[in-house]
Amino acid sequence: MDSYLLIPFLPLAAFFINIIFGRTLIKDKAHWVSILAVFGSWVVSMMAVAEVLQGKTVNADLYTWITSGGFKVSVGFLIDQLTSVMLVVVTTCSTLIHIYSAGYMHGDKGYYRFFSYLSLFTFSMLMLVTANNFLQLYFGWEAVGLCSYFLIGFWYEKKSASDAGKKAFIVNRFGDFGFGIGVIMIFLTFGTLHYIPIFGAVNGMVGQTVDFLGMQVDLPTLIALLLFCGAVGKSAQIPLHVWLPDAMEGPTPVSALIHAATMVTAGVFMVARCNPIFSLSPVAMDVVAIVGAVTALFAATIGLVQNDIKRIIAYSTVSQLGYMFLACGVGAYGAGIFHLYTHAFFKALLFLCAGSVMHAMAGELDLQKMGGLKKYMPWTYLTMFVASLSIAGVPGLAGFFSKDEILWLAYSGPSPVGKLVWAIGTIVAFLTAFYSFRLIFLTFHGKFRGSHEQEHHLHESPKVMTIPLMILCVGAIASGWVGIPSLLGGGAHFTEFMKPVLGHLEGHGTHAEEWMVMAISVVAGLSGIGLAAFVYLREGDLAATVTQKFRFVHQVLWNKYYVDELYDFIIVRPTIWIAKNVIVGVTDGKIIEGIVNGVPELIGRFSLWLRSIQTGMVHQYAAVMAIGAFVVIAMVLLW
Amino acid sequence: MTLNDLAPLIPLMVIAVSSVIIMLGIAFYRSRAFSGLLTLAGIAVAFITLFGVQGTRQVTSLLILDDYALFYIGLILAASFVVALLSSDYLEGRRENIEEFYILLLLSTLGSSVLAASTHFVSFFIGLEILSVSLYALIAYTRNELNIEAGVKYLVLAAASSAFLLFGIALLYGETGTMEFSRMSSGISAQGINKGMLLTGFALVLTGVGFKLAVAPFHMWTPDVYEGAPAPVTAFVATVSKGGVFALLLRYFIQVDMHAYPSLFGAVAFIAVASMFAGNLLALLQKNIKRILAYSSIAHLGYLLVAFLAGGVMRVTAVTFYLVAYFITTLGAFGVVTMLSGKERDADAVEDYQGLFRHRPWLALIFSAMLFSLAGIPLTAGFIGKFYIVAAGAGSALWLLVIMLVINSAIGLYYYLRIIVVLYAQPGHSEVSAVSSLPLTGSLVLVLLTVLLLWLGVYPEPLIEMIHRMTMRF
Amino acid sequence: MIPLHWYLWLSAVVFMVGVAGFLMRRNIIIMFMSIELMLNAVNISLVSFSRYLDDMRGQILVFFIIAVAAAEAAIGLGIIIALFRNKVTAHVDEANEMKG
Repeated sequence: MDSYLLIPFLPLAAFFINIIFGRTLIKDKAHWVSILAVFGSWVVSMMAVAEVLQGKTVNADLYTWITSGGFKVSVGFLIDQLTSVMLVVVTTCSTLIHIYSAGYMHGDKGYYRFFSYLSLFTFSMLMLVTANNFLQLYFGWEAVGLCSYFLIGFWYEKKSASDAGKKAFIVNRFGDFGFGIGVIMIFLTFGTLHYIPIFGAVNGMVGQTVDFLGMQVDLPTLIALLLFCGAVGKSAQIPLHVWLPDAMEGPTPVSALIHAATMVTAGVFMVARCNPIFSLSPVAMDVVAIVGAVTALFAATIGLVQNDIKRIIAYSTVSQLGYMFLACGVGAYGAGIFHLYTHAFFKALLFLCAGSVMHAMAGELDLQKMGGLKKYMPWTYLTMFVASLSIAGVPGLAGFFSKDEILWLAYSGPSPVGKLVWAIGTIVAFLTAFYSFRLIFLTFHGKFRGSHEQEHHLHESPKVMTIPLMILCVGAIASGWVGIPSLLGGGAHFTEFMKPVLGHLEGHGTHAEEWMVMAISVVAGLSGIGLAAFVYLREGDLAATVTQKFRFVHQVLWNKYYVDELYDFIIVRPTIWIAKNVIVGVTDGKIIEGIVNGVPELIGRFSLWLRSIQTGMVHQYAAVMAIGAFVVIAMVLLW
Repeated sequence: MTLNDLAPLIPLMVIAVSSVIIMLGIAFYRSRAFSGLLTLAGIAVAFITLFGVQGTRQVTSLLILDDYALFYIGLILAASFVVALLSSDYLEGRRENIEEFYILLLLSTLGSSVLAASTHFVSFFIGLEILSVSLYALIAYTRNELNIEAGVKYLVLAAASSAFLLFGIALLYGETGTMEFSRMSSGISAQGINKGMLLTGFALVLTGVGFKLAVAPFHMWTPDVYEGAPAPVTAFVATVSKGGVFALLLRYFIQVDMHAYPSLFGAVAFIAVASMFAGNLLALLQKNIKRILAYSSIAHLGYLLVAFLAGGVMRVTAVTFYLVAYFITTLGAFGVVTMLSGKERDADAVEDYQGLFRHRPWLALIFSAMLFSLAGIPLTAGFIGKFYIVAAGAGSALWLLVIMLVINSAIGLYYYLRIIVVLYAQPGHSEVSAVSSLPLTGSLVLVLLTVLLLWLGVYPEPLIEMIHRMTMRF
Repeated sequence: MIPLHWYLWLSAVVFMVGVAGFLMRRNIIIMFMSIELMLNAVNISLVSFSRYLDDMRGQILVFFIIAVAAAEAAIGLGIIIALFRNKVTAHVDEANEMKG
């Protein structure tokens, strides 16, 4: 047990060493500290996984953190099947991405700062997944958010970067608000915050209602939905998805680690961890499934037409996270976590490849300026191609197994919305394959469309970057082999392994049906690839023709369904209008996009108004004080 | 009253006597070192003698030395000790003859300690006035333009608030026929009480106390006084003066059982919500660190009132823990400001801190820790404090207040993080970062405060235990 | 005997006069005097309560109030003189360097 402490605390130590000595002593050697620390926790994690595989789970309290009366919260670790999978994902991706960053961030003036943040992030994420109680989970939850905020705004000189950081921060406030209230509700209901006693006692909650702000609400539904609020924010689901594409302003390794492989999946992890609570509420489950499915579809369609290489992958992440929630919502938690696990490899790989391309293109992100990179950067091309095959669900690769399991369980499971989300999921599989290969073909095939200087500069990335790509590539191919379904002669080991924590959802259907579902999804994926090849490989201007023909659709998708504009129209403008005309009267007429800017805008104006009362004049202060006294007296007398 | 009765008062008397010795000493021989050391020694001795007080000792009807009072006096003494340490280097070169500063410091500490121990309106009033009158002089102490302006503002408004308070006391006295807190509730339940007069009395007392605590709508003076006062004095105003008053407020309203008056409860809830919003919203766009901290302190007192409104055992625990965390953080934050301040002006513009991490990484880290604690980020004392407040509030089903608190924490986080981002940005062009060397004592104090802050955040158990033992006998 | 509430009304009226003066005048000396008026209004009510309750404590508090008011005035005048040296005015609103 004690050695498990090293898992989170090695990266923490690296953070301290780098932040304290980084500027003076370590300087451009900062990566050594962080990489060794993360590698160390990877080794210990693997030992932990080996123990868990033998059935030895650990739930130990380190020491008591907070007590009051009969209530106790400890700092402690729960290493069970679910945690061990998360440990594999987090430490593996983190180690590889740390190594990659040593090449990618080489020469940046904030080099040691970058590595110290990265280590701090790893620590926080590990605390999040190893927690054995909600308070520690909440700690990790907030801490990863903070690290993400700092890392998105890492290049704070860029205004867009610091704006994106701010946006991520504010949007997550909305979700975390619900999550915080949810945790409080759990505490009030169970009198403890530790997982095991809570999950042991959930059945006592059935049928209870609670008076929440004057309404009678079913208790499990309320708690589950409040928790889900947090997941929606952190995992960028509709309607709080707006921050993730903007977060791509951060350095690419950050996008790969935080905004693809680990942090954004924390929401899925949390839902899976709380599966005993969610399972009590059919309403909450359906909400999760529908939100997941809608997000998956919605983000995938946006991904079809974007031209920014990182944004496409970001929308793809949103879409795949939707897939995971879809799985959780139909009760297939194991399949959701399985997809989380495979997704981490191929999505981190996609991002790192994009980073490698950017490295070669001197920071260029626009697909229309690329093309034909295949011959300049063979390794990047190869690995990215494999990752795209994997995400497209080509049989035999990691993405195929996890996606297939989700779709099969959605189709055959007991969920009332199962068939619907299965249909959506299949369409998404097609779209995913299409946009992934559109990206590949536009980047690596055809003729180079950029400037001459750029063409001159093209080169394969250094070894320190390509080797992590190759290792992740192995993951993108093989990580799914632990969960080959029995239909294909495998043992479905993954779901079997997760059974003690996540339960096991049996699909009810014949073998024929199962073959059919699999065939449909494979056909969907392959036809997506085929269509992409047809459009972007064969005929140069077919894409343009289609765009012309379906101009309206293209516009809608290009503008991301006008969600930012919609928020602007229905929320921001009225709020600003109220702010303008009711509260302040004068304004500079500045209009900002997004709900997330509307509310802060209102708050800011209110703040300005309040400040205008603070005149510095004593007699005015006296008057406010006297009025205050009379108000208090009046309240006391007349209440 | 016998000599034996006086024994528990030794801690208070040590403080009083030290101030008299310094005063007499100055008449013969002016020495900053002597006064400073004597002050520190006096506070330290008083702190040690606190442990000599056994059990609960009621001294006349005016003062009580129970565990609760001793705990708060200890807290107040510790904070004064820190302020005395910080101010010695700060005052150097700002004004000649700085020995009197220590007399005033000791006296206001005494006043605050009396408040923490008082069980009677007379001792309440005397304690409050010893505290305020010394504060007037302390705030204007270095006599530059801003000091004096702050002094005038505080003087005029505090004097008026005392008048409100006294009027309230008079009404309560007239209705209940007693000035002792413990007998007040039996006086209230007597026949023939004029409810209106009684409630007006409560409201006026609340006004006077609210002014001292700087809660909305009696907070208007706070930012100006915080900005204008010398940085260590600001730290003192923010901690010692509020701590004593809050200790008294808690004792008083527990003894008269505030929950018996729904309308009074409503008024305090109103004050709490108003303070949270006023403080956080006003801090949002502020560019002066001292003012930001002033507004944030208004909000923090609002949070404290939420716990104060909650009933049950959790209340005292939550309030006390939060106050301890608030003391440490506020002293730390103003300590950083004090250390960086040049002789011309205090380092209070946000730009002064731009890129501090490049010049003074330790100071920047300490300041970040303090700001994280104020924001209530886990692993700091501030988080545990906030957790207890939320737990206390939720435990008493004060949903609306708890939700307000959570919303406000979210708003607050924003401006704290804004400062942190500035700390790690590229250095700007400010003369403040050019301060040549940092005084050693101040640095040690700051390191100590940071260690305490993190220790309480990671392992709050011992303090919680201590508070529990204290509330057991309360 | 004059009924208690007569005294209380007197006290309340004097107090309100003090509050009004405090709120309306800008000269710091006059504001200070208004505060004295408020304190004396309190003293009236304390003494009358004390008399009617037949209890000495109210009157004792009055002595404390008088003493404290004197101390407050002494320090207050010191600060006012410092303000006057700085700004050559006793007008409180001239002291508004700090705001917002």
